[in-house]
Amino acid sequence: MIVDRQANTRREFLNSAGVGVGTMALASLLERDAMAAPARKDPLAPRKPHFPAKAKAVIFLFMAGGPSNLELFDPKPELNKLSGQKVPEAFTKGKRFAFIKGDAKLLGTVRKFGRYGQCGMDLSELLPHHRDIVDDVCWLRGMKTDVFNHGPAKVFLSTGSPQFGRPGMGAWVTYGLGSEADNLPGYVVLQSGPRGPRGGAAIWSNGFLPSTYQGVPFLKGENPILDLASPPGVDRKKQGDFIEAVGDLNKLRNAAVHDPEIETRIASYEMAFRMQAAAPELMNLKSETKETLALYGADPAKSSFANNCLLARRLVERGTRFVHLIHTDWDHHGGSIDLGKTLDNICKEVDQPCAALVKDLKRSGLLDSTLVIWGGEFGRTPMGETRETIGRDHHIDNYTMWMAGAGVKRGHLHGKSDEIGYNVVENQVHVHDLQATILHQLGLDHTKLTYRFQGRDYRLTDVHGNVVKEILA
Amino acid sequence: MKNDAIVPGKPLDSEIIARIVAPDDTRMPPPEVGEGLKPEQIEKLKKWIASGAEYTPHWAFVPPVRKDPPANGIDAIDHYIRQRLDRMKLAPSPEADRPTLIRRVSLDLTGLLPSPAEVDDFVRDPAPDAYEKLVDRLLASPHYGERQARHWLDLARYADSNGYTIDGARIIWPWRDWVVKALNADMPFSQFTIEQLAGDLLPNATLEQRIATGFHRNTSFNEEGGTDAEQFRVERIVDRTNTTAAVWLGLTMGCAQCHDHKYDPVSQKDYFRLYAYFNNCDEPTVTIGGSPDLEKKIAELQAKIAQLQKVGDQPGVDKTKAEIKKVQGKIPSSLVLKERAKPRESYVQIRGDFLRKGDVVSPGTPSALPSEKGQTRLDLAKWLVSRRNPLTARVVINRYWQQFFGRGLVETENDFGMQGSLPTHPELLDWLAVEFMEPKAGTPWSSKRLHKLIVMSATYRQASHGRKDTDAQDPRNLYLSRQTRLRLEAEGIRDAALTASGQLSRKIGGAPVYPPQPTEVFSFTQSKHPWPESKGEDRYRRGLYTYIWRQSQHPLLTTFDGADAQTACTKRNRSNTPLQALHLANDPAFVEFAEGLGKRIVKEGPADDVGRVRAAYRICFGREPNDAERERVLQYAMSLPESDRWNAVGRVLLNLDEFITRE
Repeated sequence: MIVDRQANTRREFLNSAGVGVGTMALASLLERDAMAAPARKDPLAPRKPHFPAKAKAVIFLFMAGGPSNLELFDPKPELNKLSGQKVPEAFTKGKRFAFIKGDAKLLGTVRKFGRYGQCGMDLSELLPHHRDIVDDVCWLRGMKTDVFNHGPAKVFLSTGSPQFGRPGMGAWVTYGLGSEADNLPGYVVLQSGPRGPRGGAAIWSNGFLPSTYQGVPFLKGENPILDLASPPGVDRKKQGDFIEAVGDLNKLRNAAVHDPEIETRIASYEMAFRMQAAAPELMNLKSETKETLALYGADPAKSSFANNCLLARRLVERGTRFVHLIHTDWDHHGGSIDLGKTLDNICKEVDQPCAALVKDLKRSGLLDSTLVIWGGEFGRTPMGETRETIGRDHHIDNYTMWMAGAGVKRGHLHGKSDEIGYNVVENQVHVHDLQATILHQLGLDHTKLTYRFQGRDYRLTDVHGNVVKEILA
Repeated sequence: MKNDAIVPGKPLDSEIIARIVAPDDTRMPPPEVGEGLKPEQIEKLKKWIASGAEYTPHWAFVPPVRKDPPANGIDAIDHYIRQRLDRMKLAPSPEADRPTLIRRVSLDLTGLLPSPAEVDDFVRDPAPDAYEKLVDRLLASPHYGERQARHWLDLARYADSNGYTIDGARIIWPWRDWVVKALNADMPFSQFTIEQLAGDLLPNATLEQRIATGFHRNTSFNEEGGTDAEQFRVERIVDRTNTTAAVWLGLTMGCAQCHDHKYDPVSQKDYFRLYAYFNNCDEPTVTIGGSPDLEKKIAELQAKIAQLQKVGDQPGVDKTKAEIKKVQGKIPSSLVLKERAKPRESYVQIRGDFLRKGDVVSPGTPSALPSEKGQTRLDLAKWLVSRRNPLTARVVINRYWQQFFGRGLVETENDFGMQGSLPTHPELLDWLAVEFMEPKAGTPWSSKRLHKLIVMSATYRQASHGRKDTDAQDPRNLYLSRQTRLRLEAEGIRDAALTASGQLSRKIGGAPVYPPQPTEVFSFTQSKHPWPESKGEDRYRRGLYTYIWRQSQHPLLTTFDGADAQTACTKRNRSNTPLQALHLANDPAFVEFAEGLGKRIVKEGPADDVGRVRAAYRICFGREPNDAERERVLQYAMSLPESDRWNAVGRVLLNLDEFITRE
């Protein structure tokens, strides 16, 4: 794959992405592609939304484990005052927690906060780069979820149900809209952090939808997709000859049996062949300018969350519909993962790249059509959890997320929690509301995007969810 | 409500009419949901109530009745299918050619490709019953049970791990082997049902019958720290309830967990009455081959866990669990159900929340169906396969039909309720259901007999080629004027490739195995699981035996729409994607299969290139290539150095649509 990115405009570049070194065999194959291009036959061909969309693509920055809103976004002077005291029973009555017991004591934060931007958002010292994007982002300070164990809660955020086995949000979106990319998957999962997320593949599963819509978890390195590389000894030309022979023989069979599935199969092989060239090209961050790499803090020689943010932009540029970044581990209970050094480190890992992504998308104009979402499966309790070091337990009644781009209000604060950050007191956004809103920005009515399974029309938002109109520009 | 919804003869006393004409906010449907009914629609309803409001019950809740076709030598399946085609003025397709037929019926019954010699034998057999002999041979093959077991494992959500986020290992493959054995022995479906749902409750239950109860131990089990044990116990019972309803009754009972079913006559109370049958189980492990000492040790450790849980000693619990696993590893064991001596009380759970207890309920069958007085799982199991139950036989037969035609006579194979589709051939469905339960000759509830009936029919034996003349009238081939080309299931693709490669191990049963898979698979999940890549024969076992980690299944399964092992999978999707192309073209396992095939072409074929192309086609497709195909393969072969020529040809053939399709 020889592409000099600087020498081309982006449009020219995109048109040529996937075009390999020219050979006779490849040329004829690609000619066919060009002819097939206007009417793609693969099942991921783009489809019209229910109504005009603001967002063409989604980048979900999923902070796996549950970041502490109380250390990052939601300062509570009252909580600091009450630190060490027993939590008033009015708050905990009838509630269940994963680890802490009823006698848990309130825990103030040692993190310093400041107010930033025209919107006056509170940000802790842990997120200095977020100050730059504070007025580009819509802050959701009243998030609420239903489930307090990691696996089910992650799956709930992605699929709308705590039961494993439902399609993830990206699967729903590609099912609804297909994908503009004809040489890369429509739904890509990028992971970073010390381990895979709890819940695993159930987060990006196609569930009961056809596997066409499954999230494709990318691997590190040049060949990010399982089985992307041709077998040893098979170079690009040989692989082209192989694909062509398969295609021709499939056509001959179709002449006898007349089955449209064969045409789709031929299209799938051709798309796979294009992916084999396009995906390594995508992964090659060396083609980015030094300035861009520095903006993200990305290093092409290593894999990192920063690299993944940059890859997310590159994927969206190339037409991928949904990019799911999953970064572990925000599960700051105390013990080996605490609200001290561990939190410092993970904030350093994500602060700059997240801000860079918003800035980069903004300067290229892509932010207008790309919805960026940041957050975890739940927040953390105002009560402390004392293991060897300080931490907080899982908290489902109040936490913070943010969204940017694609018709979402800029520099807007939505939602408010009580004086100790226990409950939402104003403008609560439930996970199902968030899901409904994401689909809405993509031009999809969450009550109409359904799939019949086991006798029921399933949807991402189950039987719930309201579009949060107040945060839309 | 003041009055009954419908008072026959008295529209004005009927609440339904009052509500649809109500001027206030009691109007149905509520304004925010939809517009009111039109005056003429309201008139129609009034007239219908005035004339007595007669209606027939939902078809699937009425027991099936056998209506025999005329005795004219045409069997019942063909009679009913052709009757309908005649009405549509459509002609059936001719019988498929013999190579296609043997490949089709072999893949459907045993899941393996016929060898070129088997194809020759069949093609050349002049006997009028050549096909029947073939079918009988396949039904008697031990691989029949393997192929059919996979369908049942889909329904049972079988896996070799616990699921959720930790997804630890479990041993339940002896249950899988029990299924294979039972299907090979053609255990009547009634007994098959009773032993799996309640084998432990049979008098003098044998070890085998207890292993059979593993069916409902295939539920996921959450080992995550900080979980509420009762919450996830309840989730398992909910799963058992939903699965039972889906597998035997074809009903979407799950809807009624939180509220009365919106469309079917299943109340929330009905739901928790069915739930109550399953609420009294303990979930022990049985050892196989008798190791009472080790079993005692496990019981002690389990008791210790219970105590540690009480005092909230999570590290202690984890340690003890690890100890149990170690002990278990030493003995073959399987997960089973066991009735508790002291029954748990069951409640309606308000809005499906197990913490909100409603009325106490006792076990019972859904009120819209014939009632069952018995209170045990055994009573439920017997009721499910009794002649009084209108659903089970229909639902099972319909899934069999789906196996052989790609779609059931009732297209919504998982919903026989009001929202489900109507049967395309109701009389045939009922005839088959009654023939299943009460055959004129032969064993009742014999699955092999039913499978034979279906594959012997002319309807099944038709060619699958698309037909321009029928496309306009029946574009989806609902009425079966031809067979349907079906992409093989994930495991079937592996099995076919293994057969073609000559590498297939025909060993049946035993612990799951670890065929090659990319090591990166476990980088996607919380836990990195062991994958000690199998060597020797175990590397080439059928897909049925691949170890299933629920949260990180083998990529072949996730890429080709394998069952997700979370809920009962009543029908596999058949998608067609670029990732499938990458898998077949590049995956090291398939490259190895292609090499096996290449060697076989050279070894079994003649020395000349044309002969080798023909041999390759016969191995993979059972047929000869046509001229254009032969030339195209030769052109490709000749462009390659001789050393990898036939491996490369093998790779092309394994990647053809026809290879992964049952035509």
